[in-house]
Amino acid sequence: MRAIQQEMKTTANLLRVAALAFCGLLPVGFPAFAQGNGAGVAEISATEVSGAAEAAPDASALPARAASETTAEFSSLASEAASDQTQGNTPADNSQAPSLQDLGLSPAQTQGDPQLQARLDKRSHMLKIHQRLGLITMVPLIATVATSFGAGGRSTSTSDRWAHLALGSATGDLYFTTAYFAIFAPRIPGTPTRGQIRVHKALAWVHGPGMILTPILGAIAFDQRSKGEKVHGIASAHGAVAVVTAGAFGAALISVSFKF
Amino acid sequence: MNAKVLIIFLLFAAPTFAQTDEQWILGQSTLTYHVSHPLHTSEAVSHAAKGKGVCHQGQCDFLIAVPVKSFDSGDSNRDLHMLQVVRGAQFPLVTVRTRLPEDAASSATIHADLEIEFAGQTANYRQVPLELKKDGEDFHVAGTIPATLSDFKIDPPSLLAIPVKNEIPVRVEMTWHEDKSKP
Repeated sequence: MRAIQQEMKTTANLLRVAALAFCGLLPVGFPAFAQGNGAGVAEISATEVSGAAEAAPDASALPARAASETTAEFSSLASEAASDQTQGNTPADNSQAPSLQDLGLSPAQTQGDPQLQARLDKRSHMLKIHQRLGLITMVPLIATVATSFGAGGRSTSTSDRWAHLALGSATGDLYFTTAYFAIFAPRIPGTPTRGQIRVHKALAWVHGPGMILTPILGAIAFDQRSKGEKVHGIASAHGAVAVVTAGAFGAALISVSFKF
Repeated sequence: MNAKVLIIFLLFAAPTFAQTDEQWILGQSTLTYHVSHPLHTSEAVSHAAKGKGVCHQGQCDFLIAVPVKSFDSGDSNRDLHMLQVVRGAQFPLVTVRTRLPEDAASSATIHADLEIEFAGQTANYRQVPLELKKDGEDFHVAGTIPATLSDFKIDPPSLLAIPVKNEIPVRVEMTWHEDKSKP
């Protein structure tokens, strides 16, 4: 009798050992099926996992603690497989995928700055207007230079001088309006000026004073010619200053249009 | 008896703990975007990319991030305008995510599906060819991403009233090495 009881005990223990070993093997097998390459594979794995989860509470032969742990394991795998199904298993959905925090980026590098964006937007808007007005200014500038041959020289007419004066005035008005949008466009702190834009900015120191001096000298010259005098004195520099100014203006335009 | 049970359990459970994850870190990188305009072309380069890859059960997930303002074309005015056009102050990073099989490292060329977040938009590029070259313990990866301005809803900048081309291919050259410092 005792021998039979001993044998039954041994058999029961062996069954317990086999069941525990089976539970140890299960975590190895199921993750390999849960991460499928296609929807079909993922669907099959979800069905298997959910079926096993339903069956787990019926395994009354298992110790209670092992059964609850097994149920928990199945539940987590089922939810992971379902998540993969619905969201397409993209790298962003995988909990193993690295995140931005893992890359060691500082908050300043990852967070947006709406105020800076607004500043950039205003800067770009004003510089676009500057660009358009600068191109428009070229038209009366070229016309002014073209009418200078009739306004100056030995034999000129009053109408030619007035036309030259009008075009010159229009050029000056457009020029300073163009300059306004460049001068008052917001600066971005911490950005040194590099590249061909430096040439464009440097040329402003030539055509800027030139656009102030040219009409002043032109007014003196106009007055002298109106009195029937020959242009003389400082007014005689009007032409040279105007040519240098126009040349610097054209070079400034080219410096931001073509790459050297 | 309890010791026997424990030993048998550990013997069967040991394989589950034997699967260690590999991690990869991005070392040197050169990212170059190319913009074309009828009057001239322009390129800007960044060496500031950071990246990490985690391999788990035969699949590797990679994440690469580049600060938008790190791209340098040599002209500060152009770079600032670029920053404004791509909303770089609001969305300061370009991120690239991809998943590759772990055995892809044995191929000279791989085709990766890339998910790119840029200028507040997400675009997917399928089967982008990338060349792999093993150099000691490092992997050199090179390829070109066929990005366009319209993919990210970016208004094309213009010069003299002529807009730039929609295509802005990005040349990528990276060096990856395994992160042996992880526990």
